[in-house]
This record gives sequence, C-alpha cells and structure tokens, in this order.
Amino acid sequence: MEWRAQLLVCAGAACVSSGCREIRDAIVAKITEHGLQNEVKVIETGCVGSCVIGPLALVYPEGVFYQKLTPDDAEEIVAEHLLKGKIVERLLYQDPATSEPVPYLKDISFFKNQQKIVLRNCGIIDPMNIEDYIAHDGYKALNKVLTSMTQEEVIDTIIKSGLRGRGGAGFTTGMKWKFTNQAIGDTKYVVCNADEGDPGAFMDRSVLEGDPHSVIEAMAIAGYTIGAKQGFVYVRAEYPLAIERLTWAIKQARENNFLGKNIFNKGFDFDIDIRIGAGAFVCGEETALMTSIEGKRGEPRPRPPFPAVKGLFNSPTLLNNVETYANITAIILNGSDWFASFGTEKSKGTKVFALAGNVNNTGLVEVPMGTSLGDIVYNIGGGIKNKKKFKTAQIGGPSGGCIPVQHLNIPIDYESVAEIGAIVGSGGLIITDEDTCMVDFARFFMDFIQDESCGKCPPCRIGTKRILEILQRITQGKGEEEDIDRLIELCTRIKDSALCGLGQTAPNPVLSTLRFFKHEYLEHIRDGYCRAGVCSSLFDAPCQNACPAGQNAWGYVTLISEGKFKEAIVLIKEANPFPAVCGRVCVHPCENKCRRNQLDEAVAICALKRFAADQDMNSGDSYRPPVAEPKDDQVAIIGAGPAGLTAAYFLARKGYKTTVFEALPVAGGMLAVGIPEYRLPKDILNAEIKAITDLGVEIKLNTSLGKDITTEQLFAQGFKAILMATGAHQGQKLGVPGEDAQGAVDGVTFLRDLNLKKAVNADGNIVVIGGGNVAIDAARSALRLGAKDVTILYRREKEDMPANEEEIIDAEKEGIKIQTLVAPVRIISAKGKVTGIECARMSLGKFDNSGRRRPEAIPCSEFTLSADMVIAAIGQAPDLSCLDGDGIQVTKSGAFDVDTNLATSKEGIFAAGDNVRGPATVVEAIADGKNAALSIDKFLGGDGIFKDAYHDELIKMAVTYNEEAYQKEMERIESPQIAVTKRISNFNEVVLAYPVQMAIEEAKRCLHCYRRDEE
Amino acid sequence: MINLTINGQKVQVEDGATILEAAQQADIHIPTLCYLAEVQAIGACRVCLVEIEGNRNLQASCVFPASEGLVVHTNNDRVRKARKFAVEMLISNHPMDCLACARNLNCELQSLAEELGIREVRFSGEQSEGRIDDLSPSIRRDQNKCILCRRCVTVCKDIQSVSAIFTQGRGFETRIEPAFDASLNDVACAMCGQCSLVCPVGAITEKENIEEVWEALADPTKIVAVQDAPAVRAALGEEFGFAPGALVTGKMLAAARKLGFDLVFDTNFAADLTIIEEGNELLKRVKEGGVLPLITSCSPGWVKFIEHFYPEMLPHLSTCKSPHQMLGALTKTYYAQKAGIDPKDMVVVSVMPCTAKKFECNRPEMNDSGYKDVDYVLTTRELAKMIKQAGIDFASLEDGSYDHPLGEYTGAGTIFGATGGVMEAALRTVYEVVTGKTLDNVEFTAVRGLQGIKEATVPIEGIGDVKAAVAHGLGNARKLLESIKAGAQYHFIEIMACPGGCVSGGGQPIPVNNEIRRLRAGALYQEDRDLELRKSHQNPSITRIYEEFLGAPLGEKSHHLLHTGYTARGVYKD
Repeated sequence: MEWRAQLLVCAGAACVSSGCREIRDAIVAKITEHGLQNEVKVIETGCVGSCVIGPLALVYPEGVFYQKLTPDDAEEIVAEHLLKGKIVERLLYQDPATSEPVPYLKDISFFKNQQKIVLRNCGIIDPMNIEDYIAHDGYKALNKVLTSMTQEEVIDTIIKSGLRGRGGAGFTTGMKWKFTNQAIGDTKYVVCNADEGDPGAFMDRSVLEGDPHSVIEAMAIAGYTIGAKQGFVYVRAEYPLAIERLTWAIKQARENNFLGKNIFNKGFDFDIDIRIGAGAFVCGEETALMTSIEGKRGEPRPRPPFPAVKGLFNSPTLLNNVETYANITAIILNGSDWFASFGTEKSKGTKVFALAGNVNNTGLVEVPMGTSLGDIVYNIGGGIKNKKKFKTAQIGGPSGGCIPVQHLNIPIDYESVAEIGAIVGSGGLIITDEDTCMVDFARFFMDFIQDESCGKCPPCRIGTKRILEILQRITQGKGEEEDIDRLIELCTRIKDSALCGLGQTAPNPVLSTLRFFKHEYLEHIRDGYCRAGVCSSLFDAPCQNACPAGQNAWGYVTLISEGKFKEAIVLIKEANPFPAVCGRVCVHPCENKCRRNQLDEAVAICALKRFAADQDMNSGDSYRPPVAEPKDDQVAIIGAGPAGLTAAYFLARKGYKTTVFEALPVAGGMLAVGIPEYRLPKDILNAEIKAITDLGVEIKLNTSLGKDITTEQLFAQGFKAILMATGAHQGQKLGVPGEDAQGAVDGVTFLRDLNLKKAVNADGNIVVIGGGNVAIDAARSALRLGAKDVTILYRREKEDMPANEEEIIDAEKEGIKIQTLVAPVRIISAKGKVTGIECARMSLGKFDNSGRRRPEAIPCSEFTLSADMVIAAIGQAPDLSCLDGDGIQVTKSGAFDVDTNLATSKEGIFAAGDNVRGPATVVEAIADGKNAALSIDKFLGGDGIFKDAYHDELIKMAVTYNEEAYQKEMERIESPQIAVTKRISNFNEVVLAYPVQMAIEEAKRCLHCYRRDEE
Repeated sequence: MINLTINGQKVQVEDGATILEAAQQADIHIPTLCYLAEVQAIGACRVCLVEIEGNRNLQASCVFPASEGLVVHTNNDRVRKARKFAVEMLISNHPMDCLACARNLNCELQSLAEELGIREVRFSGEQSEGRIDDLSPSIRRDQNKCILCRRCVTVCKDIQSVSAIFTQGRGFETRIEPAFDASLNDVACAMCGQCSLVCPVGAITEKENIEEVWEALADPTKIVAVQDAPAVRAALGEEFGFAPGALVTGKMLAAARKLGFDLVFDTNFAADLTIIEEGNELLKRVKEGGVLPLITSCSPGWVKFIEHFYPEMLPHLSTCKSPHQMLGALTKTYYAQKAGIDPKDMVVVSVMPCTAKKFECNRPEMNDSGYKDVDYVLTTRELAKMIKQAGIDFASLEDGSYDHPLGEYTGAGTIFGATGGVMEAALRTVYEVVTGKTLDNVEFTAVRGLQGIKEATVPIEGIGDVKAAVAHGLGNARKLLESIKAGAQYHFIEIMACPGGCVSGGGQPIPVNNEIRRLRAGALYQEDRDLELRKSHQNPSITRIYEEFLGAPLGEKSHHLLHTGYTARGVYKD
C-alpha cells in the first residue's frame, strides 16, 4: 500500500509512562473517523531521545515534530495537519533561547547537532516489526559476513574501525574479538551486557527498546567470528519493555532463520537467550555478570583468567555491551574507514549519552567522539535551566568524575576525559548547576555505591561506608580538617586494593570533587557554610544562607506577614544598617534560592525589606539600635561607602569611637555617586547614613588618605585600628583607538559627575558599552538627561549580561536599545569630539573559565554607529594610589591582600569591600564591613561576637506565626512602578513601595521552609 | 614449569600454581585470611595482595596464576599499606572485645593485626549490627564478629553440600545468614560444626556447656561420669603445645580426674559394642533380605543430614545409637545398678570431637535410661579450656587410667575416630563371626585415607563378596547416596559427616588441614597397632555385659537401650 503520510509515535519507556499509547489510540481513532486510514500509517517507534518533552509524534514526509501531546490533541493533528496540511503551531517545540516555535525535527538544535550511528533506527522503525528493520538494511551485514567474509576479515574490519568498548573501559573491541576467536575451547559464548545501572543512564535500554534486532544481528556476527553457537543477553529486570521487545525480536529472528540452525544456509548455527538480572549495579561488571548468568549470587571474581580465556561456564566468552554491538552492523556495511571518519584520532565513532540534570533538553543524545562538553550542554542540551550557571558535568556514572566549568571545552573522548580524572564510562552525563553542593553530590554517589557494593572485599564494603560517613559528617557541619586527609587515604587505598572495577573506581566521585571543589569541602568544615544551600543542617533557611550578610530574611518576612513591622526592622538592622538601600538596589541572592521558586516564583524578599525600612523611616520614630558601654579605643575608617559605614555601625554599637574619613564631598561611596537617583533617592541614603552618625560615628568629608592624612598620622592621633574601605572607583578604559576624544567617558566617572551635580551633558546619540549594572545605570541616566537615542552595545548575548534582569527589562521598556554580539573597534571623532563608533560583530567561540562563550570578532563585519557620546562601562578597579609608602601588601589584581580576618600585612590595618574583592555588590560590602568590625573588635581585645539582645525573642515570634493565615496559591506581587512616560524625563524614583496590605499578602507567600528544631 | 621472580628471587613452579603457592615454595611468607588451602581461594579479603609489574592494581596472590616472566613484589610500601588497610577496614567494623572472646589468642584477625603492625585504630564508624544466634544446641553464631571471609559458606556449601548459610544483602549490610535470616536451629543444618572449625575469628563457635559441667562437678550430690571419644585423645594435645598426632590418652584421663570427674569411661567401649550390634544388624539384613546397603549411624551430623535431605533413605540407616549415647544409657542403667547408684544422681558428660553430638544428646528419643542418657557434651576445645581454667599443667601430668568395666576397649573401637574406622572394625568382627576363622591381617587399608569415597570388596565365606563403601564429608555422602539411588549396589556403608572423620570433627582444635587430619588418624591407627586386642568381639567387658545385662545382640534390652529411630525432617521447617 502506498502511504501518503506516516505518523510516528515515540514509544520509548519514558513516553510510554507519559501516556503515548493513549495518544496513539486517539490519533488512530481520529484518522479512521476522518477516513484517512488508507492514507496515513501510524507507527510506534523506539525512543526518539528528547524524553522530557514527550509524548512525541513525528509526521512524515515533512518531518514535523510535535511535543507534549495529550489525547485531546489528536483531533487537531488529524483535522488540521493530516487533512489540511496545516502545521499545528501550539504543539511545536519552542527554542529555549528564542522562544520561537521550531516545526521541523531537522531544525531543532537538540537533534540537528547529533550524529546517529548507534541510534540510527531508534525513533524511525517499529521495533516490534522485523520487516521494518529489514527494510532499513537489517540482517544485510550478517548475510555479508556469512557469505563473503572470513572470521579474520571480520576481526580485521572491527579492529581497523577503531571501535572501543562502550561499556566504560574503552578496550579495543576488535582485539577482544580476536582474543576470543583465538581462545581454545569447544564451547564459546557471546554475551551482551544490558545491565545498565548508572543512575540516570538509559542508552542501552533505548537501543533494546527501539532497535533490538541491531543487537541480535551483531551478536550473531560475533558468534560467527569467534566460533560460538550460543549467545546471552543479560538485562536487568527493571527494563520490562526492553525485555518484551527483545523477546519478541528474538522470536521473529528465529522465525526468519536469522537465528537458529543453518543461518543463510551457510551451516552456521546461533541462538540467543535472555537472562534477567535482579538489578544489581555490580552485575554490570563482566565477571559478576557471568557469575549471575551461571545462577549464582552476582559477585565479581578475580581476573585473570579473563573472559576471553575462561568466562561464562569456564568457557571462552566474548562480552560486549549493547551500544558496542549496536555499532557492528553499521561498520560491516559501511566499512571501517567510514566509521573511523567520526571521532578523534584514538576515539572513533560516536558516543551515546543520557543527558540529564539541570539542562533544558534532557534525553538521549549521540555525538561524534571528541565533541566538546560545552557543545553538548549548550547546543544540544539547550543550556542550563532557569538561567542558572553551569557547575559541573558528572560523566561516567558514579564511578566517573565531575568536569567543572573551566573545562567546558574538553573534547569528550576516552583520553581527554581520563586526563582530568573522570571516565567516559557507559554514557551517563548529569549536568549540575550552581544549586548543587559538590560535597553532597559526592555523598549521593557514595551512598549509591555503598548500597550497591557486593560486599565481597573489605575495602569496598567497609571503606566506602567510612567515606560515606565522613561525607555525611561534613554535610552535617560536623566535619574536621583531618577528614580531608582521611578521605584521601581511604580513596587511595580503596582504589589500590578493591577486588573489582566497581570498588576500584568507587572513590572517584570523592577524588574528583576534592580535585576541583576542595574549597567547598573546606567551607563546610571551617565555616559551616554550604554555598549551594543544599546541606540543610548548616543553615536555617536557604534565603538566609544565600545572603552574604546573613540577613535573616525568613524572619522578617514572617514578621511582616504578621503585621509586626517594627519587629521586622529590628531584626533586619541586626545584620544590616542599610535596609532602605538594600531594599532598593540589592541583587537579592536570597530570592534566587527561595524555595517558593520551585512552586511558582520567589517571595519578593527585597521589596519587603524596603517596605519595612520605609515604614520605619516614615514612622517618625525610627528604630535606633542599642549601643554598648563606650570603650576607650578609637577606630579610623577610610571611605564612607557601604563597607566602611557598616563597619562604623557595628563598631559604634560595640562602643568604639569611630571616625570615617571620606575623600568625596558626600558620604555613601558608590551608593551616593554610583547609583542614580531614580533607583536610590539621596534622601533615603542620607537618612540611613544619619542613623549611623546618630550612634556617635563621625564622618569627615573631603579628607583624602595620602593627601590630607596618612595611616601613620592616624595611629599617632591615637587610632588603634584602621579599616581601608576605599571601594573601586576607577573606571576601566576600552583600550581602543580614539578613546581620548571629547565625549568618550567611562561609566563610573559619568555617574559620579552626574551624582555630584556637575554639569553633565548627554545630548544626541549616546552609545554605552558594557553589560553590567553600571552600563544600564549610565544608559538610563543618559536618557533622563535628554539623550535622543541611547544604545547599549554588549559583546555577548543578552542572557550573559551581568546586570540585574529587572534593570535590563526596565531599560528596554524605557526605549533603550540593546545590541548584542557587538564590540567597539575604535572611536571616531572629528575635531577632537566624538562623532561615532566603529564596531565589529562578534560570534561566540570556546568557553572561558566562567563558563561563558568567548566572543570573537567576525572578520569584515565592521560597521559604524553615529554617536555624540560613548560611555565605556566595562568595569572598575580599586585605586590604591593613596597607599604610597605604606608598604601594605597588594594582590596582583591591585586589591588589598588580606587574611581570613580581613587583616592586611600591616598590623592594625584592615581592609574590606571592593578594595579587597574588586567591584562587587552592596550586600557583599555590608557583609565585609560587619566582618571587619568584628575582626577589629577582636584585635582590640573584644570577643569578636555580635549578638543582638532581641534576636531570640524575634525568632521565637517568627517561628510561632499564624499558620492559618498562610496562603498557598498566590502569584508574586510586583512592586508598583511609575509609568514609563512619566519617568524617562526625570530622576524620580521609579519603583514604589508596597502599600501595607500588599506587603502583608506578599509576605504570606513565604513557605516557612526554615528549620524548626524545637518542634 | 613456569619461571617467575618474587622479590628479586627466581622461582620455578608447576603450571597452574598461584603466586601465593610460588611464594610459599620460595619460603616467602604472604599473609592470608579468607584463603583456606584445598578449600577456598576467592581473593576476597585482599590481605594477600602483591604488586605485579605491569598490572595497574594490586592483585590477590591466592588466586593470581603464576605465569612465565612475572615480576612480583610481596613486600614493598604500596603492598604493605594496602594489606594493612584491608585489615584496618575489618577492624573498623569489628567489636574490640577480644578479651571476652572465645577465640582470644587463637584468632587469625588478631594475629594479622599483630603481624601487620597495626598500632592504632585509624578508621572508625558505624558497626554492623549483627545478631547473636544461639538457638542451636550445637553452634553459636555472633554476626558482630563476622568478617565475611566466607570460609564457612564454602565449607558448608562446597564441602558439606548443606548450604545452610550464605551471603546475603549488599554493601555494609552484607552478612552471612541462613535463608530468610532464620536461626541455624530452624534450617537444614547438619550441625557438623565444620564452619566453626574454619572461622578465623569468634563469629562461629560451639555452643559452650562448660559452665553447666562446672556446676555439676561442684554439686556434691551428683556422681559425674565422663566419657571421651577416640578422636579426642589424638588432638587434645594440640591445645597444649603438642604436635598434631600426639596421642595424649593417659594425660587426658589424669586431667579428667583432676577436674573432679567421679567416673572416667571410654566411648571406645561403646564403639566395640556398636560393632557387635551393628554387625549383627548387617548380618540379619543380609540373611533376611532387609534394606541394603546398611549405613552407619554413629555420626550425628550425618544422621541429621540424611533426615533433612534424604528422608526417603532413612530405612538404610542402622538403628544403632551412636557409641556415646549407648554408653550414656548403660552408665545410667547397667553401671548404676552395678555400683548401686541412683541414676537420678548421675550426670553423664561426653567429650566429643563433634558439635552435632550436642544436638544429639538433646534428641527426645535419647532418654532410654529413664533419664537423659547423656547430660552434656563438651567438645575437645571445651575440655582443653576447662583444663586450662583448672590450672592443670597438662604436659607434666602422669598418665591416668579408665574406670571399668565401661573403660575397656579394643583397637577396633579406637579407629572409630578416623574415616573408614567403623567399616574396618566392623569387617574385622563380621568376618570372624560369620566364618568362625581368625582374621590374620586385620588392617583393611583400602578404607583408610582421605580419598572422598572409598570402596572395598571383602569375600566372606557364607555371604559371598561383601561390598563396602566409605564416605567422609557430607558432600561425598551426598554423592554416594545419589549413586545408590542411581543403582549402585553395596552391602555396608560407613559415612562420617566431617571430612577425615571424627579426627577433624567440628569440635576439634583449630586449625585443621589434610596434613593434620593424616597425623591425627595416624595416632589412632598407632594405638590400634599397639593394643593387644584389636577386634571388638574380643573385648572381655563386652562379653560380660551381654552375659550380665544385655543378653543377646539385637535382643530386647539392646533394642530398648542401644537402638533408636529417626525423624524425616525435610529441608524446610513446617
């Protein structure tokens, strides 16, 4: 029958569990209903690969790809597509980057970047129909081998192809065949390892489900080649669909005499039986697998003798895994040169990976060996979910290792992966993002390995338990420094002495994470800090854990939800003297980690803080924190930015007499001269600074270190300690020709001049270069100054811009254009005045150490933009020229070199904030300021501890919130904003505070996920 | 022959030898733990690791085949650290109550820790929570002490073909247990105790009865009789520093008296008696066309085995009680009567090389004297412990003697302790009883030795060729039974549960290997040779007991006191 169209329904195990059978039935019913049963054929195929968006259907001849189907979609597919030829757009796949629908499979990045040899038939043929397989050259290779090739010729072909074992070890397949062929024995066996046990891996399952005959045919070829009459497929009981389809395929192969006696009339007998394993990870190890087939407890036995010599039932045995076999017929039919044309010099062909974890497109992917990890993650995987950062790829299953961000360019082949301490393994590839704790990650795998150890040898049985115990201890905050050495000793010895491959590789997750993430282990041990917010014994709530300043977000959010605004500000002010500032400009890492994200969206923690701060400020009775008994010692602080003033706040509260010296005519540092008024009104900032001076802190403006004062003088004047908090106020140059023309400025200078009310012109066309908050601030300020046209140029893509997302959105709303993948080449000027800028288009090349693709200029892509002003906002640096002659140690990047107590090399002098970290966030400066204050307190003989008198009481109040008022389903309430038209011509504050009721409602969205030990 | 280099030393070994064997040949010591020569080499414990040039990982020498040109290092830093680590891992999951352990000072883990120089416990953590199974009357298992070397599993499965225990669970939860974690008392366990013999630590021991015996000895109202099996005297000395094969009969008797036993009898007497009863049973079956082959029943482990695994073959089993049970019954009847003692005041203690006897003496049918025929069974190891506890200097004891009449025996009784001994003793008597002629050469060497199944055909006038077979070790017993089921024809079969017979019974001193088996058996054969009387029917006390008490063999009194019946048990408990 001639079919007009074919409709393929994916029936891989994932799609079966998400209901593809019902969809197929619905489509078949609709086809009949519309009378198309003789025109359209419906085929159930094996796994297509993109499991996360199943159930799937493909309509040929066009190759249209439909995703996430339900039986209700059947009518539309049939009536619109099959009958009228109109593609049903709402069922199409959407590109995660562009959000555009992509109709054809060949255009979907997930598929188009793959190369399918192993999976060539998966998702194409009906695995339950041998004729489909035969139509795709099935059993042609077996025929070729039996009719025209000697055993030696087959072995030669496989050796020359360069195929290596896909089960993990990567031993040359042809050599294994050769050894088994040469082994002496009357009876030999061919065994297929389908005991896929890596968590998250399902390559072999999909081949057996989608193309079982390719394995059967390859095993028969192997049988002929080594002289075996019997084959076994060892498959785990957890794979019922694979077993069902393989059983059926074996039956069909026997019926067609592709198995059985006298195959192709060539006197060759071969048959295959299935052995079902109970699902032990160790049975993927070849000797354990054979022991299990023999009917014994699945445990490894020592090698030598190797299976090729003495394997199953003590006979020579050829043992390969499913994926290895699935390559064989393609090699026989297309030749070894063809196969060897894929991959790298030493790793030929393709590799199938089960891509899982935090990428947008998870599923089964097949790529040529040598494809870079970054290409797999970003081109095929579609990048990291929820715009988070790539952290690692765990490759090779539990016995493999992790590949961190700085190795994204690594070609995935046996040698390169081994070089950094991991293994290609059988193909598990789990991608993690910044929310993954690497200690916990290692603990997870060790837990798995410990569970799956067969228990035969003490190093594996007990050693992995001891490792697991140490990891558990560390994740619970009970680790000791010595634990690192203990781990290394345990790992080294286990690797050396365990009986089988499982045991010998068992320490890999620990060794690998220790290699790249030792600092995370140490953070857990020394600081009781889990940066990923995973190890819940180490913190009360993820929001608080994420805050550099340790702000008790859950506490004040709960208090606000109860209407206890005063209490909320008391709690906030324990850790932060700048709630009104932070409530407006904080980058709020707390919200990124808010557990409510898993439900819908984070609680608006930042806006709630602003609410509490504004309430307090407007109450006429602002909260004034208590101050300790005055002490005799005086402390000098250089710089009245957030770090310096925070330090002053805490020192004052500890009773120290504190003086802040500020070079500028205003206090506030970058808060005053970096952030524009429309985001942070000056009176708000000044009110919070006043609250600090009200505690007794003295600020001396227009006083520069190095010019007006020196550190020696300060000590001589009786200051016992000095804190350097001078920030990073020096704008960086572009480094292109023409930068000295009039009208070319750096962003920091531009904003500072603007904030200091110097005459700043921004007429005509303004071009801002950069992607951070300074760039956006400069652009939006320029717009407000009356610029005709403002364009931001950024050399990467929009999602790479470091600026706050809401700032970018607001800028675009206000009419600012953002051109991405563009970088300046030179600034054009006439008569010394900027008239334009020549730019080049960029393309993204290899990944840099931060995990972003490095922009590279596209040759001959230059173009010119006219510009009256060019603002370069590409970065800023501390200016330590004030230090001349002080002899304080400075790092290579020009920042203060401090120890863990923030002490500089010179006794009594401490440093905090941007002049230590480089340009960072307000909340980090606040955190540093507090830590510096505590270090100074300790230096001056204090206890170095700051504990507010009200803390416990407030926490108790927060913990006993009114549970009945808790609301389950409510979308995040965004803060009110001034309309775009009303804001772009002035510097009035754009974002407004919540009205009271709104704040309470929003605060009630908190899930109260914090730890409650008492209950 | 294969040439290899170990620690720079050239070594030549036979094809098929392992590196461990090659090293032993070159007098290079490699420590082992799970390895058990002739029984188990699985490479599990990682104690015998060596470095082989060209191999990425260290290799277990007990299983790594020697091959031409190998260069092996058994004593470098890497190897020492790895071995030490393997033992440290075991120690990190081992209760450190060595002082209170039955294997204190006779523990392989203890010795290894000493040998490898372990001086601190570097790794600690959770300990496996095993259970103590002491429900079996014979064997006590303390899972907390188990180091999972699996010697017991191999012995139970491969040697004894019983498979009462095996490896279960995974990872840290791995343990050795009967199916469904049942008690050893509730599964098809022969209670042979071979597991306790190979256990390197205190995880499997006999269920001790020492305290009960001390109590009986301390009770002034009790007359306490002791009897000891022939195999005990050939091994007890090892517990006191004597070489294997040293016969310490006299010292043992002296020690028994010093311990305070009132009466010291010899199980050998009852062995002679068994020959009379069993010989007559055989003749009766042959003459009357009874069930043949007749199979011996002196080994309680074997009896329990057939009850579990071949209940349909129970009619083949001789109805004779085992010798110590016969002696127990006679002590509380014949002797009590003779000595004028109220049997209720008597306590009979048997010292046996056997753990299954502890089960046997508790069988409900073993109360034919009107009381429990044997009250307590001690193993050879337990007797040694009592001697040590009593502060007796065993080595310097003057030889003691037996009490009569239940202490008199012939060489035939003595050789009961070795595989083939019962058969040989029976043939000596049956030949002379049937033919009325004197047997010139009493030594039937065909049934001696450690071959698994031995056969002999003895022409006896009046009967014809008597076909006999001997099996020792339950695995061999199973093979023999299967051959009978398959049609093999025999008249008489001797089966002993333990490999080598009682000389290497489950209650004997540790260690045991084939060399020690040969030496202990040799001691018994030597005693046989040294005795004037070597045939059971020549034992004058036997003649007397029939005259005075029993009447005729297989008579009514014999039937009541010396014979028993069996229980078909099947493999699963109801």
